Amino acid sequence: MTAMQNITPGYFRAGLSVGLMLAVLTCAGGAARAGMTDGVRKVVLPNGLTILVLENHKAPVANFNVIYRVGSRNEQMGKTGLSHLLEHLMFRGTKKLKPEEFSNLIQENGGEDNAFTEQDLTDYFEIINRDHLDVPITLEADRMANFDPKGFESEKSVVIEERRMRTEDNPQDALAEVTQAQAYLAHPYHWPVIGWMHDVQGLTLADALNYHRIYYSPQNALIVAVGDFKADDVIRQITESFSGIANGPKPPPVTAVEPPQEGEREVMLRHAANLPAIAEAYHVPAHESPDCFALELASVMLSGGKSSRLYKKLVIEKRMVVDVDTSYDLLSFDPTLFWITAQMRPNIKAADVVRVLDDEIAQLAARPVDQHELQKAKNQELAGFVFGQDSIFREAMMLGQYELIGGYKQLDQFIPSIDKVTPADVQRAVAKYLVTSNRTLGTLVPTGLLPHPAGGPGGGMVRHAPINPEMPL
Amino acid sequence: MSGRHRFIGPIVALAIAAALSLPGMAHALEVKRVKLDNGMIVLISPQHNLPMVTAALAFDAGARRDPKGKEGLARLTADSIMEGTRTMSAEELNRKVDFLGSAMDVGAGSDYATASFTSLKRYWRDTLKLLAGVLTQPGLRDDDIARKQAEQIAAIKAAEEEPGYVAQTTFLKQVFGDGSPYGHLPDGTVDTVQQLSAQDVRNFYHEFYRPEGTVAAVAGDIEPDEVIKALREELAPLKGAVAPQRPQPLAPIGPGAHVTAINRDVAQANIILGFGGIARSNPDYYKLQVMNYILGGGGFASRLMKEVRSKAGLVYSIASFFQAALFPGSFQVVLETKNKSANEAIAMVLAQMRRIQESPVSDAEIESAKKFLIGSFPLKLDTQNSIVQFLLQVQIYGLGLDYIDKYPGYIRAVTKEDVQKVAREYLHPDSYILVAVANQSEAGIKVANGAPPSAKQ
Repeated sequence: MTAMQNITPGYFRAGLSVGLMLAVLTCAGGAARAGMTDGVRKVVLPNGLTILVLENHKAPVANFNVIYRVGSRNEQMGKTGLSHLLEHLMFRGTKKLKPEEFSNLIQENGGEDNAFTEQDLTDYFEIINRDHLDVPITLEADRMANFDPKGFESEKSVVIEERRMRTEDNPQDALAEVTQAQAYLAHPYHWPVIGWMHDVQGLTLADALNYHRIYYSPQNALIVAVGDFKADDVIRQITESFSGIANGPKPPPVTAVEPPQEGEREVMLRHAANLPAIAEAYHVPAHESPDCFALELASVMLSGGKSSRLYKKLVIEKRMVVDVDTSYDLLSFDPTLFWITAQMRPNIKAADVVRVLDDEIAQLAARPVDQHELQKAKNQELAGFVFGQDSIFREAMMLGQYELIGGYKQLDQFIPSIDKVTPADVQRAVAKYLVTSNRTLGTLVPTGLLPHPAGGPGGGMVRHAPINPEMPL
Repeated sequence: MSGRHRFIGPIVALAIAAALSLPGMAHALEVKRVKLDNGMIVLISPQHNLPMVTAALAFDAGARRDPKGKEGLARLTADSIMEGTRTMSAEELNRKVDFLGSAMDVGAGSDYATASFTSLKRYWRDTLKLLAGVLTQPGLRDDDIARKQAEQIAAIKAAEEEPGYVAQTTFLKQVFGDGSPYGHLPDGTVDTVQQLSAQDVRNFYHEFYRPEGTVAAVAGDIEPDEVIKALREELAPLKGAVAPQRPQPLAPIGPGAHVTAINRDVAQANIILGFGGIARSNPDYYKLQVMNYILGGGGFASRLMKEVRSKAGLVYSIASFFQAALFPGSFQVVLETKNKSANEAIAMVLAQMRRIQESPVSDAEIESAKKFLIGSFPLKLDTQNSIVQFLLQVQIYGLGLDYIDKYPGYIRAVTKEDVQKVAREYLHPDSYILVAVANQSEAGIKVANGAPPSAKQ
């Protein structure tokens, strides 16, 4: 259900599991029990900083997030990747701290820290022994107010290595990148979160400092803290640390609107790979449309679990694919994409898989699903939502994401809204959005087999004898 | 941060979880431990904060049990078990599991095969019944096995698109040799999986899915007595024990660098440098935890990260770890860097290994390492799944139910001298295996006559 890790990616500063994150974003959403948000305290400081705090006493730990309302969506052509590069630079020192001292201090206090950048937001977070929550609060305030990174060029090199690893050497991610770029012509979702290689290479320290000045202000930030603490204490600590921070200029609004797609688009990627793959992207609304809940359930019915329609048809029955998945993020700020992706078994043709997918979607559009199947999908949503709350990090992210799209209280409406969806709603939404004229189809064409790792004839593997110990590597 | 270890299977999950420590926890973990009549050991921790249940059963049926030439059999068996029972088709099983909203899986890691589920509280009994059904009476039909076999082969081909995967499979083969329990990932290879038969799978199931010595761990909104009763009823058909395994000790690596350079048209050289390591039972385990934190396990606090990433900007990710499991595993440094930087990065890794052998670590470094290892322990017990993983290790590695209380003492006792001593004993910068999947004409991995330029400290 979480498949397309590579499509709406969180680019983590270090290798933290992105899969976990997306599980929250795609299948979470609503309250397991009515009034899950009842315990949330919300405070807005005079400088505009919004704070959400929730006590959770199940384990002696606390999670602290500073979410900035900035991501690749806010970037300009030619300067793509700036949000993500800035996220990296936030660890490279302040007027008080040396590079990486931030992380060292968190770790010494029994915590872990990281950050990730998405299309819409950038999140900095710590998970820490509850006795030391004051440490991330103080340090996050410091890097919001006193940003002063050192080693710009070497950090840029790190990001370039990250792009090589994630995209250049990863055919699935490379396919998602070109497909998305073809699906969005006018909106900044056109470019990848990590940025185009040449853009990243050209970014300057001045770019980053200016970006921080505009977007890393209290008025553009949201703090979410969940954990084993007293809410009053934490609100007081946050207020003390952040209320003196001044705002920069008001961030400019994102005004671009993607024009309606009128006709199917196709893009092909030739890349070293073993298996062909496809990625289909349909333009769909996100949370701003009531259709989002029907689309969410359509996604589950298509690929949620081994009883889902696409798994049954393509993996079990026709045995055409290694993996098939859908993904849909209704928490996207702007209208988003409904993805269907598949990695084929060897010698299976993309066109044949596309035909089966079209047929399955046509069936969803042609007649209402039966109640049992719809109930199954609803049960999966509910369970997934409860499971998501087992992590305080996920809990915090759910609250934060809902707050950003219109208010954390909406979280309580997710499961009730899912429950209200009827078979006719699903049929209508599928018929309206999942149509070929609204689709971009990306096809990965493997450029020949890779050398066999065990090194057959001409396999490209060289096994060398041990080196002379006097001249060790 | 475990995502950084691109390793597959519970072996690493176990080593990592165990590598994370805990301070005097104000919240004691309530655990009940019982042994069932059939020899299965059950650990249960009630967690009433959410209406859900997480459970896992670790069978002595991991990939280390794969017969020579049949690598991949443990995984194929685990996957095939999930394809229904003698009286229930895979399709019916899948529909039932999904209708409950439960997650359920049987999968093989290197050490153990794990059968697990997560469910809402109100469906835990139904979910357990479904899982027990496939464990006690799996269908193991020829056609289902053939499909899983084809899927496994395709999955291997898909994974081989990742240079890091190719580096890992090659490294394991080099460090452990053929026929060693850890010489391969649970996937096996295309060649070995192709040769497996349905009968191989059925034999493997009968031999290794036995209750005696199997460990079950459950965390969730339940009471221990009802879990014990349910496990007794549902798993009653399982009987007997698995014969112990006694692998050959690891052969030492001869002097010098043993280099395998695999040529691929990639943007980055994917490099693994390492050698044989330790079992989890090794008494130096905690000293090595502290040492490795400082060397390359401590994220941005580690020397490798500081030197190779923060200062030189050569990598996005670099980490070292001991894969400490039931039997001696490997030590690995894993990194990716642009092809042209490969030799420079390798030289820096070797320089840091020598440095930690030659000079004592600083007071600040060892204190920082201990504070993290001790202070961060509660982070490892903050979800039902992490509690289940923890309980499995407590039992499998004989850590004791008071491990939470004892761990800080184990770490506090480690001295700078200990760190240097274990660095000298367990790191081998003059005798190692190096695998580099890279565009070799750009990377020019230096072998035989050329040591790469030595890196600045």
